[in-house]
Amino acid sequence: MSAVPQQGPGSAARLWRSTDARRLFSCVVGALVVAVITGPSGSSSSPTSGFTGSLFRPRALVFVALGVALWAVMTSRRRFGDLIRRANDRVVAAPRQLLANRWYRYVVYLAAFAFAIWYPTILSGYWQEVLVDQIGVFVLLALGLNVVVGYAGLLDLGYIAFYAIGAYSAAYWTGALPIHPPMHLNPFWAIPFAVLAAMLAGVVLGAPTLRLRGDYLAIVTLGFGEIIQIVATNLTGVTGGAQGVIGIPHFSLHAGSLKYVWHVKALPYYYLLLVFVVIALAAFRSLERSRVGRCWAAIREDEVAAEASGINVLKYKVMAFSIGASTSGFAGILTASKIGFIEPGDFTVQLSILILVLVVFGGMGSLLGAVLGAAVLQWLPQLLRVHPLFGFQPPDLFIYLGALLVVMMIFRPAGIVPSRRRRSEIGLAEHGVGTADAMSAAGGPVA
Amino acid sequence: MCFTQNFWNLFISGIANGLVYALIALGYTLVYGVLQLINFAHSEVFMSGGFGGYFILNAVIGSSQPSGLASVGFVVLGILGGAVAGGVVAFLLERVAYRPLRRRNAPRLAFLISAIGASYFMYNLAGKEFGRDAVSIPSPFTNGTVFTVFGAQVQTYYIVIAVATLVMLVLLDRVVAGTRLGKGIRAVAQDSQTASLMGVNIDRVISQTFVLGGLLGGAAGFLFGLNAGVVYTMGFTPSLKAFTAAVLGGIGNIRGAVLGGLVLGVAENLGVACTQSSWRDVIAFGILVLVLLIRPTGILGERLGRSA
Amino acid sequence: MHNKWFRFLLMLGTPFLAIALVLPATSTGASAASKPTYTIAYEGPLSGGNAQLGLNMEYAVELAINQANAGKSFGTLPFQLKFVPEDDQGLASVSPTAAQALITNPSVVAVVGPAFSGATKAAEPAFNAAGLATVSPSATAPALATQGWNNFFRVVADDNAQGPADALYVKKVLKAKKVYTLDDASAYASGLVSAFDAKAQSLGMKVKHQTVQGTTQCQEGTGDVSEYPPLASEIKSSGDPVTFYAGYYCDFALLAKALRTQGYKGKLVSDDGSLDNHFIAEAGARVANSTLISCACADETKSASATSFAKQFKTLAHFSIGTYSAEAYDATNTVISVMKSIGANVSRTAVVSGLRTVDYKGLTKTVKFQSNGDISGTAVYIYQVKSGKITVLGLVSKLAK
Repeated sequence: MSAVPQQGPGSAARLWRSTDARRLFSCVVGALVVAVITGPSGSSSSPTSGFTGSLFRPRALVFVALGVALWAVMTSRRRFGDLIRRANDRVVAAPRQLLANRWYRYVVYLAAFAFAIWYPTILSGYWQEVLVDQIGVFVLLALGLNVVVGYAGLLDLGYIAFYAIGAYSAAYWTGALPIHPPMHLNPFWAIPFAVLAAMLAGVVLGAPTLRLRGDYLAIVTLGFGEIIQIVATNLTGVTGGAQGVIGIPHFSLHAGSLKYVWHVKALPYYYLLLVFVVIALAAFRSLERSRVGRCWAAIREDEVAAEASGINVLKYKVMAFSIGASTSGFAGILTASKIGFIEPGDFTVQLSILILVLVVFGGMGSLLGAVLGAAVLQWLPQLLRVHPLFGFQPPDLFIYLGALLVVMMIFRPAGIVPSRRRRSEIGLAEHGVGTADAMSAAGGPVA
Repeated sequence: MCFTQNFWNLFISGIANGLVYALIALGYTLVYGVLQLINFAHSEVFMSGGFGGYFILNAVIGSSQPSGLASVGFVVLGILGGAVAGGVVAFLLERVAYRPLRRRNAPRLAFLISAIGASYFMYNLAGKEFGRDAVSIPSPFTNGTVFTVFGAQVQTYYIVIAVATLVMLVLLDRVVAGTRLGKGIRAVAQDSQTASLMGVNIDRVISQTFVLGGLLGGAAGFLFGLNAGVVYTMGFTPSLKAFTAAVLGGIGNIRGAVLGGLVLGVAENLGVACTQSSWRDVIAFGILVLVLLIRPTGILGERLGRSA
Repeated sequence: MHNKWFRFLLMLGTPFLAIALVLPATSTGASAASKPTYTIAYEGPLSGGNAQLGLNMEYAVELAINQANAGKSFGTLPFQLKFVPEDDQGLASVSPTAAQALITNPSVVAVVGPAFSGATKAAEPAFNAAGLATVSPSATAPALATQGWNNFFRVVADDNAQGPADALYVKKVLKAKKVYTLDDASAYASGLVSAFDAKAQSLGMKVKHQTVQGTTQCQEGTGDVSEYPPLASEIKSSGDPVTFYAGYYCDFALLAKALRTQGYKGKLVSDDGSLDNHFIAEAGARVANSTLISCACADETKSASATSFAKQFKTLAHFSIGTYSAEAYDATNTVISVMKSIGANVSRTAVVSGLRTVDYKGLTKTVKFQSNGDISGTAVYIYQVKSGKITVLGLVSKLAK
């Protein structure tokens, strides 16, 4: 509630301390920060030119005006919030009733699936490539990390390691690595091996470390992600070293009279990806509703109570790690086989963080959220590369993503398409009931 | 043994590295003591200290070659520049990325994610504004060998680090033991609820703790940058190792952070001598994992409060 | 709870969906003009830690195209040239997408690049399937020439040429019996140093090797500068008279400083990644003097055409030429000369076949390709830093008799 300014001394101070004034200040400062981010860059010889170029120009006023406008919207939301909500209810009432019916929901799923099959065929070769390399693979990765971060509430910052393991498995089983497998496999038949290798790695990494306090786990997984890249670079005799591995064959399917070879074009890989994504979606959804999912929810909501009710917390945490790793194992072998070449530089910690951003943005614990978050956040930078807007420069991408993470955590921690359950958990945690993650053995707020 | 041939050289440079780790680790340990939270974005506090020291010395020294008493003055100036930059960034960090979450009693995961976001935001912004190539800080002293001990060269640079760190540690000790802020920090670290009941302004103590850690981390950034140059990505690896040092010594324990830093610095060097330079980070990380699995409370034990 | 889901979905989804559906209609067709317009593209790192290397080449390509359009280098051409840069960040994970952007652009007839070996390995299958010629100014991995890609060309000698030549020089001219070799864990350096080590050992030298990760400050690598002092003291105590570093100038400068501070008196040798004036600036003239640097490239600061190139490059780019600038310039001009000999009807296939038989005298060398796309002739030169400047000593084949 805003303080009503009164006459007399101290009223100015009171005005300053009122929430509205504070909010105005934050909005304007925020707008100026955005002005700097979207403005010109500086350089080492002229470090202030970026700032002067963004702030000491007329465009800064535009941003200030936008900041004030945002403040006005936020302040008036109280008054108009009810109106908006009522209008919204009227608009969504009919579709909501429709979707409540199971059969109509299946029709919607089918329509979405049909659209997903048809739409890429009308795209240009470039966008098809983006759809597979940038969007599809990351949707898979986000779905996997969603299991770890969203379902089990664990922070894994080295998730890219499982992707690397999937890719190097592909190289191994097709004979492209310096060390040779017991038998050479067609990469298509190597898929289950790659997925298994990733899952095994999840168990191996998880078993010793998932006992640790949440923040320690985050650091250890971060270190692990770092180490995977260093190991891949150093063990030249095993992984091909910094030069990478070239000559990984494409998928090909020979089963009886059925013969199909994937080549360089992106579209066939897209359909393979689509199949796997649908399988993953179905599997994770049923997992969420099964006993395993309920155990995860229990661990998330109050780990101590869960342990006390007899749940083997460590076992379920390791399971989450392992299942989450499975999709990235597939993503790894798909990329390795499609591009035909992998190198340690493909597997950076920065990518792990990127996947985290995708999951957090979309909605932790929400399947649709993970898919949408990954699709939107991976598609936008490509769009902005082709049609540059608002001063967005591609090297600055992580400035936006970093700011997005902070903003999401402050305003909408459950993500843009939140899972209902997660959202209520976070709400409860904020009121002191339970934790909303598996980060600490003893629950309770932070200071 | 594999490292005995070069032992003293490795030891001396390990101590120098370790002191820098210790300064950074103190930032982690102080914040962890009061908030039970890893300040992921401390790496950017370190980085901004590097830039702060760079800008000040670049403006003041330019291309001249100072020596003698002027050198001391410039070193102090550089440290102050780094420390102030670090302190300011730490303060802003607490205000923007942590306080709103504390107000809402956000779950722990939210704090960590916000910190990661803040870290990525800051260092990429620094890269955009200050350029992505590395810059070297104009040297405030002429680096040479001051003396040799057991055949190992002790450079001016090592002396500077040692003296500066020692002074800062003594100051820190005074602050934590003597001043009101120090009492507040210890109180909040021990039991924040009771502390607030006793009249300690939690918000202010937390903010000041961040700033204190930021001053040290920023100074460390300057000292590190003197040798290594300053670049926007400089924060990540040294801070990860400093965190290892903090855990190694006992999180929340100030003396532990220093001990952990020294042990890690030397162990890294010795380990590299036995294997190869390319395994350096793996060794540091391996030490972290071993500590966490075998003795998670660290060498000197943890000093954490219970917040509930 | 459900209505909020809908509200957000509706708010977010509709405009996106609208834009997304409109998107496939990205037209890139050439506009009707009196002369046909063809595009020469450049693919390389234009952002990220390796951006400077990429920019060195990008401006050279642009300069060559500008000069050709103005009629200065090839006289009047029967077509107009356009320049399109494409950023692949030097990453193998991004380059296939960057490649597709160029492939689906019907006006692109040739690509100068990709700059990095890893990016080339990832993108080349797509370029090959599309029959689009790629002339790389800097991708030196030997594996690139053995994949059977008939559209792949490069104007630089591969790592297998430079490494052995350096070893020969160290043995014959520096008369060293022991050598300490280092690499920065990059694909380029590790290939080069293994070729060096193999040749050095076959010449009877004792080789000690270590990989020292490129530092974060120099190339967004994972190492940091504190790794150099212990390494330097180890090299000093090994007593090897020659240290060979495979990598780039920034890390080499840090290493050189650490070695000289420790009192190492031996000779420092590096590869063409260090052939950059920034090395002298960062290491300081005192440390840099007497360092030897090899390169499969001729000294391009002497001839009149080279000085004029350097001057015009600086005018366009606002910074001086760097590693591979001249090679990129030559690569572009080679393509333009092929296009000129084809005439007004340039097609991708015609460019590929034209390049197979081209013989063009460029700044750094005469550009002629072997059947596998490698450059013909692999003359390696040795340079030395003298009085703060890089000066050429001569050809290895002549010096190491």
